[in-house]
Amino acid sequence: MPFTSLQYFLFLPLVYLVFYFVGDRARWFVLLAASFLFYAALNVPYLLVVLMLVVVTSYGFGIWLNQASAPKTKRALLWSGIAANILILVVMKYLPFLSTNLKALTTLLSVNAQIQPVKAFVAIGVSYYVFSAISYLINVYLEIVKPERHFGYFTLYMAFFPKLLQGPIERAENLLPQLKAKYEFNYDNMRSGMLLFAWGLFKKVVIADRLGLYVDAVYNNVHSYTGLPLLLATYAYAFQIYLDFSGYTDMALGSARLFNINLTQNFNSPYTATSVADFWRRWHISFSSWILDYIFKPLQMQWRNGRNWGTAAALIVTFLVSGIWHGAGWGFVIWGLLHGLYLACSVFCRPYQKKLHQALGIEKTRPLEVWQIFVTFNLVCLAWIVFRGNSLEDAWYITTHLFTNSNMRLIDSLLAGQSLKGFIVTLGSIVFLLVAHYLLNGGFQITAGDFGKHLSMKPVWFRWNVYYAIMFFILIFGIFDNAQPFIYFQF
Amino acid sequence: MMEFQDRLNRIFREVFDNDDINISPGMTANDVEGWDSLSHVNLIVAIETKFGIRFSQKELLTFKNVGDLLDSIRGKITP
Repeated sequence: MPFTSLQYFLFLPLVYLVFYFVGDRARWFVLLAASFLFYAALNVPYLLVVLMLVVVTSYGFGIWLNQASAPKTKRALLWSGIAANILILVVMKYLPFLSTNLKALTTLLSVNAQIQPVKAFVAIGVSYYVFSAISYLINVYLEIVKPERHFGYFTLYMAFFPKLLQGPIERAENLLPQLKAKYEFNYDNMRSGMLLFAWGLFKKVVIADRLGLYVDAVYNNVHSYTGLPLLLATYAYAFQIYLDFSGYTDMALGSARLFNINLTQNFNSPYTATSVADFWRRWHISFSSWILDYIFKPLQMQWRNGRNWGTAAALIVTFLVSGIWHGAGWGFVIWGLLHGLYLACSVFCRPYQKKLHQALGIEKTRPLEVWQIFVTFNLVCLAWIVFRGNSLEDAWYITTHLFTNSNMRLIDSLLAGQSLKGFIVTLGSIVFLLVAHYLLNGGFQITAGDFGKHLSMKPVWFRWNVYYAIMFFILIFGIFDNAQPFIYFQF
Repeated sequence: MMEFQDRLNRIFREVFDNDDINISPGMTANDVEGWDSLSHVNLIVAIETKFGIRFSQKELLTFKNVGDLLDSIRGKITP
């Protein structure tokens, strides 16, 4: 049941009504039952088993970790718990990839081995809740959080439907206390939650899916294009994936807010980042802070005697893992590696950059900032090519033909076979998005809060104009039939 | 008691190249300009070298402020 489906538009208010009318003691159960229904609606029964396997494992290991006193036993329990979770993830997501590559390797080495091709499982949500489970175990081990003894609340922490399929990857210390809090009807939460949901829907079905039509037309047929259309499709993809995923996140946060639950904000204007490191502080924040805390920091400390080299190596390994997390494919691996290399290079270059900026007297000036945003955005886009490309060959073709002369007329480059009306609608909705964003935040940076909260504070005439505009765009221009699934579902 | 803090303060001033730093137990990375994940490694290695100690991975991941750091150093030096 995707957030953009009619079923969900009925499901969410219904769950809320039941939640509202039962007492506080039964509320966790309503949300839990709703979450399982929500997951079961995917029609993949074994996913429920996988979810329960992760829940039971993490619940058990969490309690054992707390009971053990010898540091050695604790460490052994932590590693066993992590290994069990990773094993589940590997079985669900990486077996086909491993078997294909193993087969290629044996052929290459002329070893005669019988390796059967493995069919892929549907693994929607698994990488998200497995990461939640691992963070929970590590935080119990580090004594940052106490193990949860109530099995119902623990299961709900893992399965809470707004964040189940695609995150945010919540930490137990943030979500569990909120799930246990007494519920009191809060009009502001209700309103800003619904607004945030509508805003996310607009981003997804009006802009992201429309940009997707153009991106797909070019990226699924790259050899028909050279130059400008390849460049434009790559930029369009950068915005498609951002609006798709941040739209989803808005809908998740909006849904959760109806129940007075604040999930982690995943985005903070990522394309205004002034460095790749800054980008990762603003993009998919619940995930980037996860890899930072649980992969980068321990590795960096482990290799601390190597100083900058140790840090650089830790960055590369961290982002390789990040690439692999996104999917079993070489495109993702190389995408992760690229980001790792960007960051590793900056470890060595940054002191010189700083000296250069000081010598030129341009440190902390607006032109420098604009230049840095421009460079960062293009580095990020360069990496998106291999992330989105249908194959490594396609990605290589695009990268090497971005600036080749195109024989196409400008209008054909801009449309790539799509209708002129569609193009104008996309452009118009992007302008609306930017203007609304600018008016609400007084700039393009998000300060605090989000669309829902900001809009709630505006005068009535302003709010209602925005309401109507969003409804108009969604109803008239939204793409609902054959809607594209959310990009981050597959990860 | 103060001796450790003074020695640690000297290391902070050296690592962050700023003679105005005066550390206090409640101080965190947000309070010191330039205290990011890169300089943090240099700080930890400098402390380990100067005091002749070694922090465990678990300690390094749970330090929240200068006070935690001081407590750990003290625990390692005074048996």
